[in-house]
Amino acid sequence: MSKTWIVMKNMLKIHYSRAGNNNSQIILLSIAGIFLFPFLFFYLGLINNAVSGLYELLEPFGQSSVIIGLLFLLLTALLFIISFVLVISSFYFAEDINSFIPLPIQPYQILLGKATVPLLYLYVTTFAIYFPVLFYFGSNSNASIVYYLLGIILFVFLPFIPFVLAAIFVMFIMRFVNIAKNKDRSKVLGGIFVLLMIILLNVVVRLNANPDEMMENFAQFIQEKDGLLQMITAAYPPALIGSKALTVAGWESLLYFLLMISISIGFIFLFIIVGQKLYLGGVLGINVGNKKNISSERLHKKLRKHPVWLSYLQKELRIIFRTPTFFMQCVVQSLFGPIFLVIILMMDSNFNSLSGTLDQFSYKQQILILFAATLFILSANATGISSISREGKSWHTNLFLPLDLKQVFLSKIAAGWTINLVSILLIAIGLIVVLDISWLLFSLWLALSFVASWFTSLMGTYLDFSHPKLHWTDEQEVFKARLIGFLALLFEFVPLGIIVVIIWNTPFVQGGIVTFVLLLLLMFIATALVHYLLQKKISNKDYQKII
Amino acid sequence: MIEIKDVSKDFAGKKRAIDSLNLTIPDGKIVGFLGPNGAGKSTTIKMMTGILPIDDGSITLNGHDIEKQPLQAKKIFGYVPDQPDMFLRLRGIEYLNFIGDIFDIPVDIRKEQIETLTETFNIHDALGDYIQTYSHGMRQKIIVTGVLLHDPDIWILDEPLTGLDPKSAYMLKEMMREHANKGNTVFFSSHGLEVVEQLCDEVAIIHNGKLLFYGTLDEMRKTYQSDQSLEHVFLELTNDE
Repeated sequence: MSKTWIVMKNMLKIHYSRAGNNNSQIILLSIAGIFLFPFLFFYLGLINNAVSGLYELLEPFGQSSVIIGLLFLLLTALLFIISFVLVISSFYFAEDINSFIPLPIQPYQILLGKATVPLLYLYVTTFAIYFPVLFYFGSNSNASIVYYLLGIILFVFLPFIPFVLAAIFVMFIMRFVNIAKNKDRSKVLGGIFVLLMIILLNVVVRLNANPDEMMENFAQFIQEKDGLLQMITAAYPPALIGSKALTVAGWESLLYFLLMISISIGFIFLFIIVGQKLYLGGVLGINVGNKKNISSERLHKKLRKHPVWLSYLQKELRIIFRTPTFFMQCVVQSLFGPIFLVIILMMDSNFNSLSGTLDQFSYKQQILILFAATLFILSANATGISSISREGKSWHTNLFLPLDLKQVFLSKIAAGWTINLVSILLIAIGLIVVLDISWLLFSLWLALSFVASWFTSLMGTYLDFSHPKLHWTDEQEVFKARLIGFLALLFEFVPLGIIVVIIWNTPFVQGGIVTFVLLLLLMFIATALVHYLLQKKISNKDYQKII
Repeated sequence: MIEIKDVSKDFAGKKRAIDSLNLTIPDGKIVGFLGPNGAGKSTTIKMMTGILPIDDGSITLNGHDIEKQPLQAKKIFGYVPDQPDMFLRLRGIEYLNFIGDIFDIPVDIRKEQIETLTETFNIHDALGDYIQTYSHGMRQKIIVTGVLLHDPDIWILDEPLTGLDPKSAYMLKEMMREHANKGNTVFFSSHGLEVVEQLCDEVAIIHNGKLLFYGTLDEMRKTYQSDQSLEHVFLELTNDE
């Protein structure tokens, strides 16, 4: 057991090592904390209202337990999805795995060590969702001290079941399917699989939301106490057991509580037993890349002369498309937003045409809406904000090669702009096929999008240049536990979003063309300003100081 | 020729990394750069190549100041870093083509040079693979090939022989000798004292950021009145106690 503990401790240390971090990140974190503080109250208020509202509605029918049931269900679903992603990256693709395999420790000990970091994330997620609902429900139902005590103890066990289910699922796939034993391909396929699952889940939920049938079931189940709880937790009994532990009275509650804890502990043992058998079989022999022989003629064909900016841009795009983490974060996730939007729009309209939806707004408002939505989607793209950090320890190559640093930065911004084209194309399809907007509006939107895409990519690159993360061992670190995504939204979307609201409410700006020209002008000014700031940093040779 | 004049370097919160370093490396010589771990070798090389800013002093390469005329200076040297783990997601051939574009090498010369160099280093068959699949030695070879591709006047090599198989190490040493014989400069750091003894015309020994000795091996033996090997003198010189 002591070895397991040592492994767990070291895995945590490796993950949260502050090597290469500086104090400015702590300052940034504090600033973000101050910004987020009001949102905390907003969030708690929202949960309080939801729980109180539901409680008032359900309590007269003896169905208030469904609130806790829903909490357990939704939390489990969320934890399962998060676990899936975390388990793949932590168990199979983290670079440190090779250092642990040769050590004289059991597979289950490595596994428990590997589970530490994902579980920590799960606890943070659980904490943020579980406790507010637990306490607001408790205060609404005037719960006893026992309720709170059991609730707090249950918190410790809550992430186990979804985590173990996801882990066993992943270990099983990796052991027996082990997608061609190719690390890169498995990573991309795994990531896309999760995104598809989320979209599919959304579609299924929306398709099943047949109001007539639901009302019929509802009427039937509502007649017995906790009937609704039994209805919604039918597919996942632990949610029922957990809810009963918190909502029934007396000894029965304690029984359910003990049952819940026993099941959770059972799952941990299941994890150890299955892991011991499956884990190493799946993790050994995973390799990266393919080896293939290319004939001399084909090699020679690859030798072509390009201008440096294009050669550099090609290099950037190749690295993004060939590195699974970068591909998932920069390309696939940026498609996710537009695809999700189109699916929701189409399903909500029952696949009827949504053409003319925008007609209820004035021409000026239509442009503002399309611009703001596009800017938001482009601001969420991670290519710009990882421009410098993606290089990791190779950043110095830009410094000893005879490259004009200004050109390096321009090529990096161009890489973000090029990847944004895919999002813009998807939005364009949505605008033409689903919303059926006019060609004039489409052209104005397209021109604005191209400029906005350059602006977001430039701002992202500037922000990343200001606080790069170059000392990473796993590509995930470029995106995880960094504030940069939040800062990008703050600096790219918020100021222009506020300007959009101002223009919307300014009566003397009238007409689509005037609005378009005004927005274009603003975008040019903003872009020029950030270019000036970037140039200042380049002249100041900050690129040498970030090493 | 490389001229390092009164160069100093400090890192925040640490003792002075380089202290008023003066060193002139002439053309036509192979110069070995020696020092214990943490002596300041890599820091010096990083300043020479423009990776780190110079706090005080100046470094010129064939007359081009690395800080004032960085592009001109960088075009005339080729640098092999101690860690060859770069551009891992590119195929070997893509990396070499990228270097060809940066140094503006005509396509026919690229083809010819790549063909010759990769055959010499025995990595021709791996050019279509991602550099990530290469062993440490192969990565070293592809970087060396990239450097030799543009035929720079000055070679700056940080531990260039680490990880190379005997044949490739021999070939590289021959190339270094040939390059110096043509009147060019070869400057390399190494922990392998036998290699330095066997290959170098002159050695520079640095310790705690200060230059302890610069000259030929014979001069060193005379200065320290020793008939012993380079290893013995080196250990004596860098012994703090």
